Amino acid sequence: MYYYILNPTAGGGRLKHQQEKLRDRLRALGIDGEFAKTTGPGDATRLARYAIEKGHTTIVAVGGDGTVNEVINGITGRVAVGIIPLGHTNAVAMQLGIGDWETACEVLAERRINEFNLIAAGQNFFVSTLTLGFETELDKQLEEPATTHRGRLGQLRSSMVHAQRFDTLACTLKTEAFTMQAEAFSLSVVNQKFLAPLSADRLNISLSERPGRRRRASYVWQVLRGISPLDEAATTRFLADRLLIETDPSTGITVDGKLVGRTPIAIRLTDRQVRFIIAKTKS
Amino acid sequence: MARRDDALGVGGADTMIGSGVVVNGKLHSEGDIIIDGTVKGEIKASGHVTVGVNAEISAPIKAESAQIAGRVEGNITTVGETAIASTGHVAGDIISAGLAIESGGVFVGSSQIKTTRNPLPETSEESGPVKS
Repeated sequence: MYYYILNPTAGGGRLKHQQEKLRDRLRALGIDGEFAKTTGPGDATRLARYAIEKGHTTIVAVGGDGTVNEVINGITGRVAVGIIPLGHTNAVAMQLGIGDWETACEVLAERRINEFNLIAAGQNFFVSTLTLGFETELDKQLEEPATTHRGRLGQLRSSMVHAQRFDTLACTLKTEAFTMQAEAFSLSVVNQKFLAPLSADRLNISLSERPGRRRRASYVWQVLRGISPLDEAATTRFLADRLLIETDPSTGITVDGKLVGRTPIAIRLTDRQVRFIIAKTKS
Repeated sequence: MARRDDALGVGGADTMIGSGVVVNGKLHSEGDIIIDGTVKGEIKASGHVTVGVNAEISAPIKAESAQIAGRVEGNITTVGETAIASTGHVAGDIISAGLAIESGGVFVGSSQIKTTRNPLPETSEESGPVKS
């Protein structure tokens, strides 16, 4: 049976308006199950562990990237993990080909599974993206995403100023094979398999220099929309299995949209796997 | 690096070193490598290696093929062709199936042409700097 972990605060409370429609849709597709709501930080991890103890074999995170991250930190064994994206940022779901909650329900019913190795960053596990630099600093400044056209324009303007003033970080990156010194405006680490589903699990490290004036607006706009601009803007990329990141000065690290610590930090690909239910287009 | 729509991850270089970046150690790749920064150590690729105009390499290069537009100090061994662009400067020996040096390109070293069809090497020795 499916076990749904709902974050009622995700996406500014979007769930409140969608819950009845969502349950009706799941029922119609024959994948109704048990529902549990989170009450605070870390609760989704606790609920995922509880669901596994009770024998559930499919756990669905209903929320944003933060909820997904908490759920996968509670997963053990061969449990399948689904996502219904209702958060402010739904990058993990997007990368798995799940654009909205309606699509998510169809994907859950089709139940196509792909396995991804988890990445460990200090004490945290994640599957998708770790970032530091400009994007992380901007996240700290923008509490809530703007919902109006005027609000979005205002955010773009202030973010552009921030991008211009942001000091690049002197980074030292150590892998199993080499040491790299670079000035980074932004840095991200993602499981390569998330970008190319048929490729092997490896750390894909992307780094960008400060974008020039012409590129700055599109770069900032992508960050504000929750899309990683490093897919296109990276000037340095490489693959590794282990990575140590040191920066001067020390800086905050975001994992799947949540601030989890500061540099220096050791990152490694683990043997621990999560079995995601993914869209047909990504299988 | 694989594009999002490139399921096999074969659409581009999986290793890219930007200008201003300094790498010390072994840079190995199962695909292509593009370098525009500084590398000291060793470069090995199953695919094509591109050394950009800003690149400064102090390392032997082993690859399927290579295009050199920057400075390389070290031997280059390729299964296919090695090409030195007009801005390229190579100080080292080249073992390759073919060698092309554009006008303005500099090659200081010896070259050995090895093709898969002809296992016996056809050798041409360069004496001193060559500027095309």
